[in-house]
Amino acid sequence: MYKIFLTIRYLRKRRIAYFAIGAVTLCTAMVLIVSSVMGGFLDKLKLKARGLLGDVIVRGDSARGFPLYQELIDEIKQWPEIVEATPVIVTYGMMKFEDSPSVQTVIVSGIKLEETYRVNAFKSGLFYEQHYPGTTTFAPQQQPVVGFDDQRSARKETPEGTIILPVLPLSLADALAKSRAADTNEDDVYAGTRLNEALAEYNLPLIPGVFARGSAPELSNERPRPGFEGEPRDGAIIGRDLVAKRLRDGSYRRYDLLPRGCVVTLTLLPISDAANVDTPIKYPFRYADDSRTGIYEIDSQQVYVAFEVLQKLLQMDAGETIDGDPIPARASQIQIKVAAGVDATALARRLERHFHLYRNDERFNLTFDEKLLLERTEVVTWEESQAHYIKPVEKERQLVTILFGTISLVAAVLVLCILYMIVLQKTRDIGIVKSIGGSSAGVASIFMLYGVAIGVVGSISGSVLGTLFVVYINDIQDLLVWLNPAWQVWDRSVYSFDEIPNTVRPIEVAFIAVGGIFMATMGSMTAAWRAGSMHPVEALRYE
Amino acid sequence: MSNPLMEAVDLRKTYRMGRVGVEVLRGCSLAIGSGEFLAIMGKSGSGKSTLLHLLGALDVPNQGQVTFHDKPIYAPPTQRRFRPGVLDTFSFWEQSRIRLRRHAFGFVFQFYHLLPELTVLENVLLTRMIGTPWLRWGSRRKKYDERARSIIERVGLTARIKHRPNELSGGERQRVAIARALIHDPQILFADEPTGNLDEDSGGRILELLTGLHGEGQTIVMVTHDASVARAADRTLHLDRGVLATN
Repeated sequence: MYKIFLTIRYLRKRRIAYFAIGAVTLCTAMVLIVSSVMGGFLDKLKLKARGLLGDVIVRGDSARGFPLYQELIDEIKQWPEIVEATPVIVTYGMMKFEDSPSVQTVIVSGIKLEETYRVNAFKSGLFYEQHYPGTTTFAPQQQPVVGFDDQRSARKETPEGTIILPVLPLSLADALAKSRAADTNEDDVYAGTRLNEALAEYNLPLIPGVFARGSAPELSNERPRPGFEGEPRDGAIIGRDLVAKRLRDGSYRRYDLLPRGCVVTLTLLPISDAANVDTPIKYPFRYADDSRTGIYEIDSQQVYVAFEVLQKLLQMDAGETIDGDPIPARASQIQIKVAAGVDATALARRLERHFHLYRNDERFNLTFDEKLLLERTEVVTWEESQAHYIKPVEKERQLVTILFGTISLVAAVLVLCILYMIVLQKTRDIGIVKSIGGSSAGVASIFMLYGVAIGVVGSISGSVLGTLFVVYINDIQDLLVWLNPAWQVWDRSVYSFDEIPNTVRPIEVAFIAVGGIFMATMGSMTAAWRAGSMHPVEALRYE
Repeated sequence: MSNPLMEAVDLRKTYRMGRVGVEVLRGCSLAIGSGEFLAIMGKSGSGKSTLLHLLGALDVPNQGQVTFHDKPIYAPPTQRRFRPGVLDTFSFWEQSRIRLRRHAFGFVFQFYHLLPELTVLENVLLTRMIGTPWLRWGSRRKKYDERARSIIERVGLTARIKHRPNELSGGERQRVAIARALIHDPQILFADEPTGNLDEDSGGRILELLTGLHGEGQTIVMVTHDASVARAADRTLHLDRGVLATN
């Protein structure tokens, strides 16, 4: 009883202990913040990377792809473990918008849109598809333009005359009305377009995205009607950072010069069997939508087009040799979604063994080169395919947490120093307690409990402080930026994610808090041992 | 003395000052009867306090033995440990000495030795707090509290019950120390120069208090260098350079 009583009394009366509590608090908070931010960063990275991939991926090691992908897809779709499988072609190219002088190198992926929607979260990252559901397609399409419709256009009377405001083509307006009903709008969809600036001026609902001829309200008599213009061209989905400018606050400013449906030309390089680069192919598409994963490296490089179109452009489609022998179509990857509860790793190994059996399958009659391409395919899980990307971050997280944990030993040393000092100050008290019946272990336990109490109070306050800091980390950063723009730590125009990760895992908090208590207890042990070992008579005579 | 309460036989104590051993007690033997008021007198450095500490089980003699109710309180000389370690708490001999200090002995020191963080009441209760397992504290707290208040009243400090030691005079502090030593009804009260740090008036009051306690049957062993204080005792022993002589 006296141990707890004296511990509490010493805690309240010895203000120096507050420094030890402060040290434990700061160290606990520091480790928690670092671990949470790094852990959140890792989670977001995994989530974003995961969104683009199937659970299992069949991939070749050659830019020429591998054959028999469709045969494998048709077969494995019968397996109960497989939900969906879709082929992908990946190549490099150059991209130029019709009205822009700049040329960008891009990674071009040929995908089957509907199948891809079923395999991964690609659809949720599409801008126009979110706001105008059902309108994003790779099929040949014209450019949607806003215009003036006597029945639908809003009118505003001003001293200068009647202002008529442009509206979307009817099909898009209907789609937008549906998405608005579903409340899927984002905050950043209106940024920067002249049309929306005009609509905002008259307090009218804004139009997500950029559409041709959508520059200003109409005052003249010339009133082109809303509709679709231009030659039909295949659609392309473009990484958002290629069509919009990411701002420091994480939102996007869309370019008026890049309206939906504008022509974008891709220059591709088909690779022959002999690895010669054939004549570059320029092919015009229309900008059908833009995709955002949240990872800058992807959003600033990727262009998606129809699988069949890209396959044909790269001469990877089925054909015949001069001798009339069949050439099988090729793909670069197969993205596979597996059923819930299936062990993806085991399935990947099984699938790889199964696919390699195709080499010698008499049904297919492959050439030596084709067998080699097939043999060099591998089947991996999405985590394995992103290991080069995720593992270093995982290691960094471990390393930084260990480093900061080691730095936290300072707290243990501080607790030791402060408690040792208190023990010296309390030498006479120790003599008194022993002279009236306190045991050596009892006296030692007073100071052990003191250390534990410092650890508990410090760890709890550190956990609360760290949790609050992590939860409000983005607000804190905004405050810093508001105070001084030069203090921006997380530049959203540079980093992969809009926000500093702010996920706090309760189990991690508990683990770190227990670590803090353990450190403080360890720090108190030497002082406690010293207190317990004091000779009562010497302690009473201590000056 | 037939059937003494405590008996010391041939107590020897040597302190080490670096490589030099200083023999403080050189074979002291004495017996303390139940209800006796014994004064031990001697000059400074004669070994009075050391003898008191050995009798009160606060220190360990190099040789000799102390018995309390005919039971030895120190291990045989070859098994004695002179510096208490934390783990010694669990040894038989250390545990028995802890029990004596908790339940059978009370100490009053020259410099009061009160805990500055605690009030008068808490300082007095501390002895009971140490001697009571924490599971039983809840049920006994009220009883101990009443006992502490009555003793504090007895020493005349009821008005000061919530004061801390630094708010009390020297005499008042010594009275708190006496109250703390009495709360568990010790069989022997050891007083080490209880008036040594007080003025004449305060010292007189403390002595009065001790005499009153002795009158009620309390066994008291008091160390003093003051002959006028020693006169209050039934019997006085003189300690000269570590050797006892009867008055």
